[in-house]
Amino acid sequence: MNIIEIKDLSFSYQDEIQALSNVNLSVKKGEWISILGHNGSGKSTLSKLIIGLLKADSGKILVDGVILNEESVHDIRRKIGIVFQNPDNQFVGVTVEDDIAFGMENLCFQQSEIIEKIKEYSKKVDMSDYLKKEPHALSGGQKQRVAIAGILAMKTDIIIFDEATSMLDPKGRASIMEYIKEIKKAGVTVITITHDMKEAVLSDRIVILKEGRVIACGETNDILNDKETLNSSNLELLLPLKLQYLLDEANISNDKVKDILWQLSLNK
Amino acid sequence: MAIKFEQVNFSYPSFDGTNFSALKDINLEINEFGEFITLIGETGSGKSTLVQHMNALVRPTTGSVTIYGIKIENDTKKKGKVKLNPLRQRVGLVFQFPEYQLFEETVLKDIIFGPKNFGVSNEDAIKRAKEVIKHVGLDEEYLKRSPFNLSGGEKKRVSIAGILAMEPDILVLDEPTSGLDPKGRDDLLKLFTDIHRKLNKTVIIITHDMNTVYKYASRVLVMNDGSLVYDGKPTELFSTNNIENWNLDIPDIISITRQLEERLNIKFNSQPKTIEDLFILVKEVI
Repeated sequence: MNIIEIKDLSFSYQDEIQALSNVNLSVKKGEWISILGHNGSGKSTLSKLIIGLLKADSGKILVDGVILNEESVHDIRRKIGIVFQNPDNQFVGVTVEDDIAFGMENLCFQQSEIIEKIKEYSKKVDMSDYLKKEPHALSGGQKQRVAIAGILAMKTDIIIFDEATSMLDPKGRASIMEYIKEIKKAGVTVITITHDMKEAVLSDRIVILKEGRVIACGETNDILNDKETLNSSNLELLLPLKLQYLLDEANISNDKVKDILWQLSLNK
Repeated sequence: MAIKFEQVNFSYPSFDGTNFSALKDINLEINEFGEFITLIGETGSGKSTLVQHMNALVRPTTGSVTIYGIKIENDTKKKGKVKLNPLRQRVGLVFQFPEYQLFEETVLKDIIFGPKNFGVSNEDAIKRAKEVIKHVGLDEEYLKRSPFNLSGGEKKRVSIAGILAMEPDILVLDEPTSGLDPKGRDDLLKLFTDIHRKLNKTVIIITHDMNTVYKYASRVLVMNDGSLVYDGKPTELFSTNNIENWNLDIPDIISITRQLEERLNIKFNSQPKTIEDLFILVKEVI
């Protein structure tokens, strides 16, 4: 079943450049899909359209079978949580516990339930020792984990990570990727928006955007095999893939090396 | 010698009342010319605090930092004799997200703000603006535009131009490529390399990207828990086993080379710097 369906979606900022042109995409319930593209490819615009922060020029978006419009947007936002790129721009609480509570308060959860959930979800993201701490005492990775706890507590069906790791150090980055894997296992539909192919290969499916158009969409394995599209995508290719392409071009084939490079491409 | 740290300690009271030791016994020398230095270490290791000492934005708790012959110690400001402006002109510090600090109506006004503050005449400042806008890879046309209508990458360039217009000898940048995509990152790094080579300035970059360190830096400084734990060449850094203790990654090219060696049970006779180097090595063994 498709939890998100996007049909012929187009959008432009103030009549200027076409940010998205005729995008068609469906996201299956419970899958992890990556939207991969360089800066300006339209990937963040797409995520803002999905949660109704922007309004499409044409085309439509269905979330859980409901068409996104002015009347449905509030109900749909209850189903989708989003973690943004800059950890500092989304920390709204005075302390960690306030911040986790914020979303639940908006959804009118009972006070007792909020307290309980803060405990439960701060523990899930390893932040239970920091509940009284203020944002300046936290690293970027810790702030992103607080954001994740707040969203998990709201029990949304879908979570979008919009370049959520791109400002973190390697350790922070790795920890967020681990939580994403767990969230997916728990049955939540995950959409990660990234320019980093290393992160994208961890997901079930990859969509590549270029200049506002979908240039590829498929299972991760198939996308990695699609040399032509990858070369034209302006993305930074994974080194093992690059090496395999060099070997191919020189007509050197060795099954063992090929297999190793493939495993390395998939981060295995 | 442009900057010299001698036994620098820096601590401040943290929110829970205890004293937090951000820098511990730092000894370090930075040359005026010709260095391309990367400063690495995990979040909270003291990188930003270290660079803030380089233009006397903060003073050491104990020890001293000598910047172009002027010694900065804990009580320096209290003595009231030392003028800090000349130092700050010579060591240009670009904070993380400098684009958030643009505030003038036009790019020109934003760029001349700094030099004018340091006593440069309006006319000379404009002359400098026309010069530096080219160094950051933008057309002179940009000077007339509003900084707020520029793309993220352009804003970043304009804010760097503002620092260059002060004509510093040393340029220090705090995570200048954070959040950029590979192309934006490579473009900026090329810009810094040009500034380093053509204008003969020392460039110091804070980064988390080990590929940048390996590809561009002539010298790398590693901070760990407030201490300077490594000061040397990147190639030697990544061949030691301390990397994991300091929570650092290794560059992709080294990682793939090691994986290939391990899984093929072979040993290449050199460490490749690029994927093309590695291709040649692989070609020889299969």
